[in-house]
Amino acid sequence: MAVLRRILTRLLVGFGVLWGAASLTFLAVYLIPGDTALLILGGPDARPTAETLAQVRADYLLDQPFIVQYGSYLGNLLQGDLGQSYRLRLPVTEAIGQQIGATAALSAAAVALALPLTFAVAILSAQRASWIRSIVSGIEVVFAATPTFIIGFALLIVFSFTLHWFPIGGNQGPVALVLPALTLALAIFGTLSQVLRNELEDVLEQPFILTARSRGMRDLPVRIRHALRHAAIPVMTMSGFVVAALLGGSVIVETLFSRQGIGALTLASVYNKDLPVIIGIVLLSAAVYVVVNLVIDLLYTLIDPKVVTA
Amino acid sequence: MNESVIPPARNSRQFRYFRNFTAVSAVALAALLSSCAGPVSSTSEATGEPVSGGILDVSISAEPGCLDGHGISATQQQFLGRLVYDNVVTLDENGDIAPYLAESWDISEDGKTYTFHLKQGVTFSDGSPWNAEVLGQNLEHMRDPATKSPLAAAYIAPYVDGKVIDEFTFEAHLDYPYTPFLYALAQSWLGMNSGKAIAESPETLCQKPIGTGPFTVADYRPGQSISYSKREGYDWAPEWLEGDGEAYLDGVEVTLVSEPVIRHQSLVSGQYDLTENLAPQNAAAVQADPDFTYENLPRIGSPYVLSFNLNRAPFDDLAVRQAFAAAVDTEAVTESLGFGTYTPIDSFLSRESKYYDPTVEGVLTHDPERANKLLDDAGWSARDNEGFRTKDGKRLTIEVPTVESSTPSPLLVQLQGEARKVGFDLRIIQLPQAQLTELRYAGDFDALAGVWHTNTTDVLFIRYHSSEITGERIGQNSSYVNDPALDDLLLTARESDDGPEAEEAYSKAQHRLLEIVPGLPLYENPSQFAYANTVQDVDVDTSHPVPVLTYAWKAE
Repeated sequence: MAVLRRILTRLLVGFGVLWGAASLTFLAVYLIPGDTALLILGGPDARPTAETLAQVRADYLLDQPFIVQYGSYLGNLLQGDLGQSYRLRLPVTEAIGQQIGATAALSAAAVALALPLTFAVAILSAQRASWIRSIVSGIEVVFAATPTFIIGFALLIVFSFTLHWFPIGGNQGPVALVLPALTLALAIFGTLSQVLRNELEDVLEQPFILTARSRGMRDLPVRIRHALRHAAIPVMTMSGFVVAALLGGSVIVETLFSRQGIGALTLASVYNKDLPVIIGIVLLSAAVYVVVNLVIDLLYTLIDPKVVTA
Repeated sequence: MNESVIPPARNSRQFRYFRNFTAVSAVALAALLSSCAGPVSSTSEATGEPVSGGILDVSISAEPGCLDGHGISATQQQFLGRLVYDNVVTLDENGDIAPYLAESWDISEDGKTYTFHLKQGVTFSDGSPWNAEVLGQNLEHMRDPATKSPLAAAYIAPYVDGKVIDEFTFEAHLDYPYTPFLYALAQSWLGMNSGKAIAESPETLCQKPIGTGPFTVADYRPGQSISYSKREGYDWAPEWLEGDGEAYLDGVEVTLVSEPVIRHQSLVSGQYDLTENLAPQNAAAVQADPDFTYENLPRIGSPYVLSFNLNRAPFDDLAVRQAFAAAVDTEAVTESLGFGTYTPIDSFLSRESKYYDPTVEGVLTHDPERANKLLDDAGWSARDNEGFRTKDGKRLTIEVPTVESSTPSPLLVQLQGEARKVGFDLRIIQLPQAQLTELRYAGDFDALAGVWHTNTTDVLFIRYHSSEITGERIGQNSSYVNDPALDDLLLTARESDDGPEAEEAYSKAQHRLLEIVPGLPLYENPSQFAYANTVQDVDVDTSHPVPVLTYAWKAE
């Protein structure tokens, strides 16, 4: 029962978060200077007629005061209507729906690469000789600090341009997924692995580890079965960072690797002040955060029953 | 013009592209012929019997977000439109109006009534027929505000209404004589949509355009790719394509690859057969590769021009405009900017355009001494402590807004350096697209750099006639040229039939522009694409110099 109430409370808070996110985005895009109607009608090369301009302004309420535009948007939103993309002339849900699969696949592949890599490296390098830790830590810092597009470009130059192992971008098949996923994965691994190793090293100092060892357990099982469970909680707290890295990174990675996806859609929508799509994506991202945080909360209790969060 | 700026050899089919051999292009051609004895020329002989089948993989630099030509103004539509659509008329290999979906047409004495006699037996890919009613529906669809047309509607602005005479005869009534009408109808943005789709589901045309063209859209994933399949039973290609029946290719797979370096690498690695846009920095590498054909073709219309705003100081002063034009070494700027692939130009009309008058050349020349003298005489003789010219204590400043990017426009940076030599303070203002667009239509700038492509010399009207100044409606006269003499010439030219009268008016207009100096012409607006030599018989349109794949085929 308590768990149910917790979920309900969290969902209610999450609803507030979504409303806030939508409102702030609406305001921000509204405040960006530039005539949206002109932008919709093709920018600098266009010769729209006065009737066409008037139609666009009327269709999208661009000739109305802010409060009318916002009120209308919110009203539609409450009915589940995210509106229509100015640029694609499609319902927002459809515009996002077309792209979400590709980004989900990319994110899943990145996580599938990043997590095993992180755990393997952190578990194997914690409390080792200082030269090993220096080298590993150095590599992690490089990956964590290098902008994603540089990692991506380096991978492209080595594996696509030079070795021709992978296609140069595109969405075609799982092979095309490898380099973009690796690019995102390396950025996540860099930060996550540092955190996990530090935690592991703390835990490995604990008396219960000594106890386990004195029972005759080998080193690796001690690290995995005893230390990891304790070290994992702070890493899970980092999942917000992971989600951010995946969403933000997808903008760059999808552009660099000419991939379809939410990132590429975000970029195009922001360039074109495509307000309904921008808000749609913000809402989607906020919803992902809310859900991920809720799930993590519940997982804490599973991993360590002593933890009770509000 | 020296040899290094000359485009590489092309095969014989594409020589047809060059029609109005002006003095300059004839020289270029001679140089080209003499220089193409190298490995490149071998590609032109690698022709055999066309092979049917295969999918052509194409990379493009940008994707319009909507595939209905009537609803967009994107450059890529020039290429994409040719796959799905046919037009009422076309421009043949000589750039003259030729039959397409209309077999013939009559124009009334007063130039205001066009009677189209349409081709029979043509069908759209949804099975609906092509007829007079559908032509009327298309013209209405273009100008329907709900279509949100940024371009097509303006092209047919003089169209008042139409009358279906019989199933295959359509009469279009214009408000005033408008010779560019047929040229506009030949452009990719004005391709013919299915009348059934326009009537029943116009909102679906962006995502799933339905034309009569050689290919149909099988799958469109915005922001990613467009898959085209061969249209079964296609049999109405224009004569200049020199082919019959269906396309040879089974399909065309168009993928968005926005990074130029990736477009180049993925072309040479064989991932794509053709790229619609090859960046100038990669031209030399592809040209040197015997397995690829590189095309560098100028677009008709307005070349790349730095337009001056005649409406406000300092460019309201002719002397300042002349001085700026004389200050800039356009050949040097163009050479470094286009890695030798750009063709410098000193006129306001592309050399490939009909009625281009070569006698305008050599007037707007690089002459820093003259620039300095003009500025001195115009009162900009004092200098401030940074070396910029001043007049009454005010610095000679030119504000040039441009779209925001990670690196400032290389062109503007170069112009900044050139202009500084004679004492101009050229300031590059980087803005997001939305703001830039607004500022542009508000006229809040001193100069703007840009091109404007169309397939008719009427581009001079669009760019420099006073009625095209943004006011009631959006116009492309961003120089705010308002010159009654020029207005008269441009109006006469667009109202005259093709022939000596139009030629004379256009020639005078080109000379008048040299006196007005509404901007600084820089270089021809090029269409630069490349493809693997396994791809054969890639035709080039004369409306837009883009690849036409109707009868292209892939060798094994």
